[in-house]
Amino acid sequence: MSSHHESILREPLVTGRNITYAKVTEDILVPVENKPNKAWWIGFTIAALGALLWLVSVSYTFWFGIGTWGLNKTVGWAWDITGFVWWVGIGHAGTLISAVLLLFRQNWRNSINRSAEAMTIFAVICAATYIVAHMGRPWLAYWALPLPNQFGSLWVNFNSPLVWDVFAISTYFSVSLVFWYTGLLPDIATIRDRATGLRRRIYSVLSFGWNGSVKTWQRFEIVSLVLAGISTPLVLSVHTIVSMDFATSVVPGWHTTIFPPYFVAGAIFSGFAMVQTLLLITRKVMNFENYITMFHIESMNKIIILTGSIVGVAYLTELFIAWYSGAEYEQYAFLNRVSGPYWWAYWTMMTCNVISPQLFWFKKIRTSVALSWILSIVVNIGMWFERFVIIVTSLHRDYLPSSWVMFYPSVIDVCIFIGSIGVFFTLFLLFLRVLPAIAMAEVKLLLKSSSDQAKQKLIKENAVNKEQAEFYKESLNKYDHVQENEYAKL
Amino acid sequence: MDSNKKYWKGLEELKKTKEFTEKNKGEFSEPLPIEEVLNEAGLSTIAPRRDFLKTLGFGLGAVTLAACNKSPIHKAIPYLVKPEEVVPGIPNFYSSSYNGHSILVKTREGRPIKIEGNPSCVLSKGKMSAQGQASVLDLYDVSKLKGPVYNGNSTTWPQLDQYVKGELNKIKANGKKIKIISSTINSPSTKAVIGDFIAQFPNTKHVQVDAISYTGIIKANENSFGVAVIPGYRFDRAELIVSFGADFLGTWISPIEYSRQYASNRNNAALKNKKMSRHIQLEAGMTMTGTNADTRILIKPSEQGIALMNLYAALGGANVSKPLANNPNANKAITLIAKELLAAKGRCLVVCGSNDVSTQILVNAINSLLGSYGTTIDLANASFQYLGNDAEFVSCVNEMKRGEVDAVFFMNANPGYDFINAKEFSDALAKVKLRVSFADRMDETAGLCQIVAPTHHYLESWGDANPVEGFYTILQPTINPINDTRYAEEGFLGWSENPVKDYYQYIQNNWNINVLPQANSTWKQLLQSGSIYFGEKPSGAFSFTQNLSAVFQTINNQSNALAKDGENAIELILYENVAVGDGKHANNPWLQELPDPVSKVTWDNYIAIAPKFAEKLGIGETDLAEVKTGRYSLTLPVLIQPGQAAGTVSIALGYGRTKVGKAGNEVGKNAYPFLSFENGTFQFTSAATISKVGGTYELAQTQTHHTIEGRNIIREATLKDYLKDPYSGTGKGHAKTYDLWDRYEHPGHNWVMAIDLNACTGCGACIVACSAENNIPVVGRDEVRRRREMHWIRIDRYYTYNEGAEKVTEENEIKQLENLDNVTVIHQPMLCQHCEHAPCETVCPVIATMHSSEGLNHMAYNRCIGTRYCANNCPYKVRRFNWFNYWNDSRFDNYLNNEFTQLVLNPDVTPRSRGVMEKCSMCIQRIQGGKLKAKLERRTIKDGEILTACQQTCPTNAIIFGDSNDPKSAVSKALTSERTYYVLEEINTLPGVGYQTKIRNIAEA
Repeated sequence: MSSHHESILREPLVTGRNITYAKVTEDILVPVENKPNKAWWIGFTIAALGALLWLVSVSYTFWFGIGTWGLNKTVGWAWDITGFVWWVGIGHAGTLISAVLLLFRQNWRNSINRSAEAMTIFAVICAATYIVAHMGRPWLAYWALPLPNQFGSLWVNFNSPLVWDVFAISTYFSVSLVFWYTGLLPDIATIRDRATGLRRRIYSVLSFGWNGSVKTWQRFEIVSLVLAGISTPLVLSVHTIVSMDFATSVVPGWHTTIFPPYFVAGAIFSGFAMVQTLLLITRKVMNFENYITMFHIESMNKIIILTGSIVGVAYLTELFIAWYSGAEYEQYAFLNRVSGPYWWAYWTMMTCNVISPQLFWFKKIRTSVALSWILSIVVNIGMWFERFVIIVTSLHRDYLPSSWVMFYPSVIDVCIFIGSIGVFFTLFLLFLRVLPAIAMAEVKLLLKSSSDQAKQKLIKENAVNKEQAEFYKESLNKYDHVQENEYAKL
Repeated sequence: MDSNKKYWKGLEELKKTKEFTEKNKGEFSEPLPIEEVLNEAGLSTIAPRRDFLKTLGFGLGAVTLAACNKSPIHKAIPYLVKPEEVVPGIPNFYSSSYNGHSILVKTREGRPIKIEGNPSCVLSKGKMSAQGQASVLDLYDVSKLKGPVYNGNSTTWPQLDQYVKGELNKIKANGKKIKIISSTINSPSTKAVIGDFIAQFPNTKHVQVDAISYTGIIKANENSFGVAVIPGYRFDRAELIVSFGADFLGTWISPIEYSRQYASNRNNAALKNKKMSRHIQLEAGMTMTGTNADTRILIKPSEQGIALMNLYAALGGANVSKPLANNPNANKAITLIAKELLAAKGRCLVVCGSNDVSTQILVNAINSLLGSYGTTIDLANASFQYLGNDAEFVSCVNEMKRGEVDAVFFMNANPGYDFINAKEFSDALAKVKLRVSFADRMDETAGLCQIVAPTHHYLESWGDANPVEGFYTILQPTINPINDTRYAEEGFLGWSENPVKDYYQYIQNNWNINVLPQANSTWKQLLQSGSIYFGEKPSGAFSFTQNLSAVFQTINNQSNALAKDGENAIELILYENVAVGDGKHANNPWLQELPDPVSKVTWDNYIAIAPKFAEKLGIGETDLAEVKTGRYSLTLPVLIQPGQAAGTVSIALGYGRTKVGKAGNEVGKNAYPFLSFENGTFQFTSAATISKVGGTYELAQTQTHHTIEGRNIIREATLKDYLKDPYSGTGKGHAKTYDLWDRYEHPGHNWVMAIDLNACTGCGACIVACSAENNIPVVGRDEVRRRREMHWIRIDRYYTYNEGAEKVTEENEIKQLENLDNVTVIHQPMLCQHCEHAPCETVCPVIATMHSSEGLNHMAYNRCIGTRYCANNCPYKVRRFNWFNYWNDSRFDNYLNNEFTQLVLNPDVTPRSRGVMEKCSMCIQRIQGGKLKAKLERRTIKDGEILTACQQTCPTNAIIFGDSNDPKSAVSKALTSERTYYVLEEINTLPGVGYQTKIRNIAEA
């Protein structure tokens, strides 16, 4: 964080020549300070149409009832809770990047944490809409909160994992929001200082009177650390609790102790995939190649291999335990997943989540922007199917075969899901327009120590070992936006 | 203690200075500056802080007082002049009767809301069928006529009478014929009315015809023994029952009566005495009775008569044995059945569902050989439930065709729908000058009549019935006629200038002369009890002496006519199903949504076909196929029915009504035209062909997986094993008994239930009773297809395929089976198990579902926010979610979306809004009612005083509810049975509903 010298062996986190603090500000604030370009408008129009679709289909559901979905007497949750868990999972990467990586002093997080946190917040919003929308009587949603009331002091059921969920999600959302906003303060102040007129006034209010004094910076650092400390357990707790919605039930296929770690790993897995999906586009469209480098992409892909492998092991463990338990219903639940009427969902999940991330063992693949992007989408498709498989294939054939059914989504189910993606992207695109997508202040911290130009300067000054310099030079090979001639002269 | 001390505020007071006394004259030490404030200058001054606060305080107080206005009051005025005996909130019960079964009608605030069996009824003993339970809804049917109709326009009764009377007199003058066409009338008073009418118009003939005809049996008995009746069958006296296609538990003649008799030899009490009857069913289509059989042998309709002949021969009758060429199984079975029958001589019963006279004569001969007359068949105590005469009706139609008939009256008969040839009938009817229908609605026949004189619903009527020998029941109205309707009988009385014009008076006169004096009873006593029974007559001796050679000839001919060769040749069986019956009640949504006991299909009829046979023909589930006979063809969806004989298909009658009302119109297709008239009766089988046609159609089934997948949710044993070890099959000793959780305490009552799988026949009466009692909405065909039926109690039906001694229930193994014909079936009523450790209770975020101190799992609808977590976590899948506002959403308007039909709702049970979970409450309103009554009478609750709706109506007493804290209660005793097990007890939900194992009396050979 501080500007101490960094080993030349480490790959640079900021590339490009003549990168000054001013240039960082200029580069990153392009979308904020200028009229949006065509690409943004196209994206925004599509996303806004999606959001409109969401609005229409959710209103339709509220007007007529949950019957407009494909649910039935046996399958009481399907696309709704699949969507909910999917979005909550996606929201996990943000906190992990901002909190855990901060505590572990992983400086590469500085370029991606802002967008990842924004993504977290928007994903949790999408998840929360599902919680409310899936209720039979959403106008009474507040009854799930332990509010003082006049029903003879009627409380919520503290035994119910759904109540834990309410606490977990709301805590997670508020802490993430505070963390995100705190990190934004110096950047908002930067925008304020460069703006005029009404914009200046707005950003002035939003900047909470940031004055850039040493004391302010010091407090900022402390608050960031404290919030990181608070957030870190949340990374584990939120999806643990979400998994308990299933794990504490008696439904075969749900009633599993492996769920908490397996869900957390899956959440990080899908979260990083989503960060990848978003940032690869942002990087391209907004010309952020110097700040989001191949090192970032590759690092995230490595995390995807790791978490993907954990998830894969969890899948296999589940199968093994189902067999080993000798429990009839459990065995059938898993046999049914693998070979029942929804076998295609299970094998889609297996292919997307277990096999496809293993491709990242190949350096060529994990350093390819196009392949990384495609695989990140594949992973999120796989993770959607994971939740679908867990929820629907467990429910549709549980204890009494007389009640076994098939679940078919209705048009509204599909529209709400597509619409929620629209809502997510609408919020994200608006975010890109009004706030810096990369934490400028934090990137500036790296400029003196971890940037390519700083390192090249050291090499030029012969301040480093020749061999190490050579090693560094080689490591730049994979950087798609560092031209070879830039270091050929060394 | 008074104190003389004086306290003073200051020296001024102590000294009482002049200024002080001056100032303390008024209440305030300083004068209020009212004048100053209110004068012009004062008003323009800036108010000081204190004044501001004062004004504010006053203003606030004044506004508060002003706001304390009374809110508008809407006064609800209870009965201004309260009708005698009607107490709001307290139901009244009136005895009446339904189809000859004595019933109790529950009325609330003057409206009938529920039908309950009358325990004194000879036939039902307090039980009711699904159709009987549903009949109350017909009262509130909005499709009924509001008043009399003449040529399609509404008219008045005097005008109508004038016209009919005029026409009748003209007919009488020119000597043309008059016909009264009705379904069976066993009402003594109606018969007397018709008799009086005939006396006035001697050219009148009363023709009785039933859509589902039993003429074959009547004629056969006339032929064999000279008595043209349906005998009384005594299944309770039969240790061995052999039924050739008679669905005597589901639809045949008097199913509630027979079910009770049948179960009495198979229930817990019988098994405790180590006795159980044996039931062998030989049939082609899977009937509900077939599902209950211990042994079920497949024979095609063409083989039925031959099989009976072989049996007759094997029993020592004339040697006409002719082994069935393509059915070695049946041949073997018949030899064994003969042996068993001979061993049980005088304690056995052979029945046959055929409506063919010859076949029934042969059955009579067999029963005579077996000594059944006087023991299990009672000709002296005959049944009058079906009196129709097919031949008479057919000749009546011929007379109409020839123009010999000038007037025809239709009473509760609808040949425009159910006659074998509707075109022929309507052409014949067109030649009749005066056509009068007494239908309650503009049905298929009424549409062809120029006069429709709608009669009352039975709950609006006085009336009587004589369903079996010596048993007379009374109908008394429970509500004033809702529409401008009139008794059909009053029409006849008026037109024939009878001195008694009032039908009520007429009935009373009739009873006072013909029944009451003999029974030593009074009218008042009769109204209280609802029926009079003169007791069983001694059964006379009957023996069969006829020559059978002509019978054998006819049977052979018929068999040859049915068995056609050809790739697509099939034998078609037309049957009545349990829910919709003959189609009279087709507009009753409760019945349309009652799943068929075997196929679990609602809202449609279909072609039932055996799995392997369908495969051979290249027909699959959801395909449409066409069944064709020489005269008629129908395209219907296919249902793959395990246990159907290969080479046969079954189609239910009673569907495809076109003019019955909103709910029932165009539901399924009309199969009556497939019937044929041969040898003097309507035949319910026919030779036909089947072919696949394009297109698919999804039937609305409430159950789509049909086997138990090897799970121990159904536990059964053979009688042999049971006698060795009563615990056999229950898996006792395997379940672990420790648990982590605290047990609830039940200091008062602990309501539990016992369900005897060996008594349950799967008839579904409980489902309709529950719907009526608990205001369960009907959701319609599309919602059932989406698997959203709302029934709180359902009957799970599972098939087991027998491969030798092995029982196959797993999907993958069934796929590999060659032979899918050998099927055993079980019915398992499934409702909320009221678990002690209810998985639903722990997961509800808002405590909407809770355990009561009386062992019940409560559901607080008002608290539910509809997360559906409880339903997901319910291992029994008995929770039902209100996906829509079913009772107030025009898209689901099956019946309840109007204020009139909503009168059928039980006011003790809240109708549930959309977005709320619901489920069986064990009829909590009845429990509370019972507790309240006991409390008012200062006593404890008696066992059997509180009955759940399902228990009350169950014809076989398979369901017992009660307090397990009372060791003497019936339910406690039932649950101590060795056969008791709990479904999914291994997951330790501790259900409150115990099941007793199914015992199968399988032959040892």
